[in-house]
Amino acid sequence: MQTKGTTRQQAIQQQIAWAAPTLGLVLLLLLPAFARYNDYVLQVFTHALLLATLALAWNILGVSGSISLGHAAFFGAGAYTSALLSLDLGISPWATIPLGGVLAAGIAAIMGLFCLRLRGAYFALATLAFVEIPKVITDNWDGLTRGSLGLVGLPGLPSLQLGSYHFDLSASLVGSYYFVLAYGLVLLGLVTFVFRSNLGLALQAIREEEVAAEAVGIQVQRYRLLSLLLSAFFSGITGACYGHLIRYLEPGLVYGLHFSAIPMIFAICGGRFTILGPALAALVLYPVDQFIFHPLLPAGHEFLYGAVIILAILFMPSGVWGQVRKAHFVSIKTGSVE
Amino acid sequence: MWTTVFVSGITLGSFYTLVALGFALIFGVTHTFNLAHGELIVLAGYVAYWLWKTYGVSFLFTFPAAVLVALTVCLLLQRLFSRLKEPLELNSIVMSFGVAILLQNGMLFFFSGDYRLIRVPTFNQGLHFKTLYLSYGQLTLLALSLVVIGLLYLLMRHTYLGKALRATIQDREAAALAGINVSGMGLLAFAIGAILIGLAGPLYGSVHYLYPAAGLQATLLAITITIFSGVGRIRGLILGGWILGFAESGAVVLLGASWRELVGAVMLITLLALRPQGILEREK
Repeated sequence: MQTKGTTRQQAIQQQIAWAAPTLGLVLLLLLPAFARYNDYVLQVFTHALLLATLALAWNILGVSGSISLGHAAFFGAGAYTSALLSLDLGISPWATIPLGGVLAAGIAAIMGLFCLRLRGAYFALATLAFVEIPKVITDNWDGLTRGSLGLVGLPGLPSLQLGSYHFDLSASLVGSYYFVLAYGLVLLGLVTFVFRSNLGLALQAIREEEVAAEAVGIQVQRYRLLSLLLSAFFSGITGACYGHLIRYLEPGLVYGLHFSAIPMIFAICGGRFTILGPALAALVLYPVDQFIFHPLLPAGHEFLYGAVIILAILFMPSGVWGQVRKAHFVSIKTGSVE
Repeated sequence: MWTTVFVSGITLGSFYTLVALGFALIFGVTHTFNLAHGELIVLAGYVAYWLWKTYGVSFLFTFPAAVLVALTVCLLLQRLFSRLKEPLELNSIVMSFGVAILLQNGMLFFFSGDYRLIRVPTFNQGLHFKTLYLSYGQLTLLALSLVVIGLLYLLMRHTYLGKALRATIQDREAAALAGINVSGMGLLAFAIGAILIGLAGPLYGSVHYLYPAAGLQATLLAITITIFSGVGRIRGLILGGWILGFAESGAVVLLGASWRELVGAVMLITLLALRPQGILEREK
């Protein structure tokens, strides 16, 4: 009886695992049609998608079991690199956005030099402290970064010309929305590929039992560095996109605790051992914050993020999506027994 | 110039030790990192600011209220921390990060994002000894910090309770075998930590600007000093506090005030890189 009950529950969870993302994708694709006359809704979902990409990028490192409290370092470095190159040298954002990712990965390499020897809590503390370095440097290097004055009037994303179609990516909200959605889907595809590749398997093995992973020949430090670099690269690209969409930067804003906390919170609440969990959490929690709590509590509405991470760590450490997907993993393991 | 660095290094450093004491005690006894430590100090500072500004309460009499608020919040927090599962250190970091966000937003709601400072008029006057100048503010900071550190040292070294706390810090299992109530000691550590936080808060508000996000700096320096000294060593904490105080004052003179924040961060990363196994491992 119990086995039958469990399998039915597993079947339901299996269906949720397919239905929810499919429905979500359809809704996301059609959203501009519903929200055509409501700019605010489109802006909120554009930003939610951007945060979803940050959470996906965070989780490339997260899947190895390391928790970073310093991804604002990569986000900010990407944003500033792309902004300065396009603003001061007039290079097209299409070229400067990937360069933002490259500089973020460079910073991650320096961070890795000091922090990758650390594990668990001490890695998290070191990343928390590390953000201060690029932040204070950006704040003080007035000649290059204009310091705490920040950067204004960043160029927006240029229009795309495909045959006779003309996509305006920065003047029109719909254009920006679809651009971020497209980037999100590409990143989701890449993350899926990474998770299922040898790299992903190695990272999961390191998370489950590092000593055993090393014993079977996985080069632990090499894979951890690789995941940190990839994670930082895409966080930098997300930061660069953020800069060209908001068109205003300030060290305290892009290097702030917010952009370190947000991806960690979304990834853990959504499920940091799953592919989709972090993105789904971003797409649910950020709109809930903006549509429900922001009007109620203009000052202090972000208490929501603190509350959800406390609840998640106490009651659902594998995250909401991790809970749905758990049946999937269990069925693989018990499948051979039945 | 260097006498100024010396004076501000010693006063700031002693105060930093006071800031780190509660964090180090809670971590040593319960093995949980409380990343909301700085936010709690800022909260206690806000309580003092609010009493001083709206009711004209004199600075010294704001301390009991700040301690009371810190005690209430910390005992609630202790309930949350005691529910955590293994790995304790990592889970406590993630959860207390959430607590920090909660507190920041609560303070933003009640006290707004404006920068506040408790301005005690006499604090700007001071004593001159030839080239050495000591303001009453620095004198208060130094005296109060050293008195509180001294009292805690006496409690830890010369009372039965302190002995039990130190035993729990050194080896929890052996302490439990010897009949010490280890979870009771955890509660006690949070209570003493809360008193230390409540005493540090108003002092913090009189030397640094209070704003909802100010806590991160205090948390980082508490972590830095704790990692420097290892757990259960008050003398090590004083040394760590002074080194950090001197390094920050030196950086302000040599590089400028805006580079001050970097000193603690670089020191923490260096310490961690030098001692990658963490500070608890070494004890065993």
